[in-house]
Amino acid sequence: MGLTVGMTACFLIFLYIRFELSYDSFHSKADRIYRIVCDIKTPTEVIKAGGPSWAVPPNVKDEFPEIESFVRLSNTGILVRKGDAKFQEEHSMWADSSIFHVFDFRLLKGNPKTALRDELCVVFSETAAKKYFGKSNPIGQTLLLFGEGLPARVTGIMKDIPENSHIKADMLLSMSTLTKRFNPDLDGQWGNYGASAYLLLKPGSNPKALQAKFPAFLEKRNGKEMKQSQMYATLTLEPLQDVYLRSTRDGKNTGNITNVYIFSVVATFILMIACINFINLTTARSSERAKEVGIRKVVGAARTQLARQFIGESVIICIIAFLLAVILSSLLLPLFNQLAGKTVSQGIFQNARYVLMLFLAAIGIGLLAGIYPALVLSSFKPVVVLKGRFATGTRGIILRKGLVVAQFSISVALIIGTIVVYDQMNFMRNRALGFRKDLMLVMNTDGDPGTEAFKQAIKGIPAVKSTSLSSSVPGSGNPGAYSEIENKKGDLQIANLDLYFVDFNYIDQFKIKVLAGRGFSRDFLTDTTQAMVLNEAAVKMFGYSSPQEAIGRRFKQWGREGKIIGVIKDFHFRALQEPIKPLSMRIEQRTNLVSANVSAANMTATLASIEAKWKTLIPNRPFSYFFLDEFFNKQYRDEERFGKLFLNFAILAIFISCLGLLGLASYSTMQRTKEIGIRKVMGASVRGIINLLSNEFLTLVILSFFIAMPIAWYFMHAWLQDFAYRTEIGWWVFVLAGSIAVLIAVFTVSFQAIKAAIANPVKSLRTE
Amino acid sequence: MIKIAELEKIYRTEEVETVALNKLSFEVKEGEFVAVMGPSGCGKSTLLNIVGLLDDPDKGSFLFNGIEVADFNERKRADLRKRNIGFVFQSFNLIDELTVFENVELPLIYLGVKAPERKKRVEAVLDKMQIMHRRNHYPQQLSGGQQQRVAVARAVVNKPKLILADEPTGNLDSSNGNEVMQLLTDLNEQGTTIIMVTHSEHDARYSHRIIRMLDGQTVTENILV
Repeated sequence: MGLTVGMTACFLIFLYIRFELSYDSFHSKADRIYRIVCDIKTPTEVIKAGGPSWAVPPNVKDEFPEIESFVRLSNTGILVRKGDAKFQEEHSMWADSSIFHVFDFRLLKGNPKTALRDELCVVFSETAAKKYFGKSNPIGQTLLLFGEGLPARVTGIMKDIPENSHIKADMLLSMSTLTKRFNPDLDGQWGNYGASAYLLLKPGSNPKALQAKFPAFLEKRNGKEMKQSQMYATLTLEPLQDVYLRSTRDGKNTGNITNVYIFSVVATFILMIACINFINLTTARSSERAKEVGIRKVVGAARTQLARQFIGESVIICIIAFLLAVILSSLLLPLFNQLAGKTVSQGIFQNARYVLMLFLAAIGIGLLAGIYPALVLSSFKPVVVLKGRFATGTRGIILRKGLVVAQFSISVALIIGTIVVYDQMNFMRNRALGFRKDLMLVMNTDGDPGTEAFKQAIKGIPAVKSTSLSSSVPGSGNPGAYSEIENKKGDLQIANLDLYFVDFNYIDQFKIKVLAGRGFSRDFLTDTTQAMVLNEAAVKMFGYSSPQEAIGRRFKQWGREGKIIGVIKDFHFRALQEPIKPLSMRIEQRTNLVSANVSAANMTATLASIEAKWKTLIPNRPFSYFFLDEFFNKQYRDEERFGKLFLNFAILAIFISCLGLLGLASYSTMQRTKEIGIRKVMGASVRGIINLLSNEFLTLVILSFFIAMPIAWYFMHAWLQDFAYRTEIGWWVFVLAGSIAVLIAVFTVSFQAIKAAIANPVKSLRTE
Repeated sequence: MIKIAELEKIYRTEEVETVALNKLSFEVKEGEFVAVMGPSGCGKSTLLNIVGLLDDPDKGSFLFNGIEVADFNERKRADLRKRNIGFVFQSFNLIDELTVFENVELPLIYLGVKAPERKKRVEAVLDKMQIMHRRNHYPQQLSGGQQQRVAVARAVVNKPKLILADEPTGNLDSSNGNEVMQLLTDLNEQGTTIIMVTHSEHDARYSHRIIRMLDGQTVTENILV
């Protein structure tokens, strides 16, 4: 049973790991595709960008013959209208027409060579096409894009992009729309970023050598500009298959190789625990079968025949366990998919190769687990055994105890891991973020002309306490701006500052604390055009030792010039994995996020009246909203999932370990029945006997605890390094984990111990 | 010291009912040495277990030192047992994992005797049984006679008023058997009451009185002294 559970768990984790590792491997040219990423060095910092400037991909393609093709992809959210239906299509992407050449995204309808060649062409995924067109043929139909309603033609339907692709889109728009119609010199902009880029190299070309040629190339084409802006770019090639798991440039959306490693270790552990159990119980039971061996030997069985019999039995048991595990896995798979948050596998039989591998592993376990008992049992001397003077060797006991210690070490380590993960989750959820996130309703108007009027209108709703308009809210992402700020020495220092466009009410509404100077105010006419507020981190970056010192200093940013009027306390505008970065705030009228602080009572009615205003003032867009607290915490979804998976597997490991402990305890008590009887006759109390038996195992559990502690500490410490703000692994974590382990062990063992202790000693002594 | 009246004990399994003791009555006075004899399955061992407070009767009365103990619960019986009764078994029943010294020490630990006092008393009794030189050996390293001497030492170390011996010589050769019987006789002469179950007429002759049993009842009583 333990073996079945162990195999099931291992199998599921294995599918998960395989899935994580399979990202982007379905492209037939995967080994020749590289993503270009870019480090931009300013005098102040190094920005790790996910892609190069717009000009880089077309120009490197022209320059270097080893590049066969390039694709630029740029995520966007687009308002799509078809007749009266309105959709805000969030999974849409600008793409160069070469996308179908470089990647294996298959077109079901349309010509892959031309689908995205012309301006205003759209390719939908199968699912999205159904959403828009139902059963009718979408090819050639027209849709209206953006608020202004640009007509676009559907030129292709592609098969849905598989789950294990780091590029995800339901709607592709031709890049030429961007580079020819909207921004005609985009292909020549060396300082404008915003797309990710992939290069397809010709077979046999060396990416290292190519990368080495980039600095000289950039110097030649862009050197002057870089010197002028003091922003120096370095290009690096990332193999496509490393992007999902190993690249750190995409923030939260991708996998994490550490997690894959952790789960591999967990899977191995669980399987190990299960095998240990199996070996343990088989050997423990071997003494019961001693008599059988004796008789078989007397009637003429040779040692090898016996050994074969025992190994055979163990293999058969493993195969049964394997069959059960396969059934259990297929039953649990939907649940596991849900837990993992993605369809790791449609059904286990789609992974026939892995089923086969597990099968072979099962046989392997059977052989391994069978060998030891086979050797021990087959070596019994029949005369001794049949006389009943059979004593189990201390060697076997030590081995079994060692195995139990190993099991419990693993379990305790997993318990500690679970506690740390949950503690960190708690820490992140409860940490004071430095801004108000409760009862904050946020709506994205996408810059609709009706935005300002809408904001004014909902101000009139009684349940709306205050409103504000901004380009960003915490957790939403924000632009970085090329900025020059006067530093302590009085020079203008270049930096890439995160930028929030806000209105006069923003700082008050979000309860962000002003440390020095003042927030924006309508009383100062210049505030709309010549004022900037910095956060503490920014002030520190420019060398000021106190917020006060920064007040009144000069700034230049995106065409504006003026003075720093205030310094705000640092607040977490990104998830807690990231440190608080230097941030600037400026007043800007045309922004897209309306946030409203609402009262908790009667939320449905409030939402209904807000929606009514939206429908009259922003009729072209579907109404959508989110609550800031939920939105912000969504950033921890992956961690939450990780925690849940971890918890489940920890429980599993403990469960299997307990089965083992139970087996060993009952075996050991059985062995000591006589001793217990004697002790009772001598006057031992029931409690004394229970203590005697429990202590034996408690010592083992406590020993495991001390083995597990440093190991767990090491791994969880490494895991926590992903978080800029993290809890300490306090001593209480170990105490708690230890107590849990001890409690579970006591519970498991005491059942046997109590049974043995209350048994009538007369019976045990009569077994002579 | 022991007065048993109309004692009954029936063992039941799902199908079979075995009457082990059938309205058995007898008495043992302080300082007596009584041998109980009878064929296998006549109820000797059951009787010994009940007298030793290891088992309780189904019916009847059992006065131990004038106190009715037939309806004592497990804890009270255990308490009475560890203060008053010592056991010697046919198969010695020593704990293999403990040394000679530790085996003999066991009853004193359960009585709550302090360590220095325990040491003194264990050494005294080991000396008396002439196995002092084996004190750090394990039971498996001793001969049968030596093991039984350890068992006797363990039975007397807490100076019980009553010693129950279940075929003490059953696993011993005759010279070792005689030695053990001599030990028991000596103990009896020093005032300890002894009840011994045996198959051996030879051993039975060491006692004052022989109770013969059959099918859970006493058949005859021979007074030897």
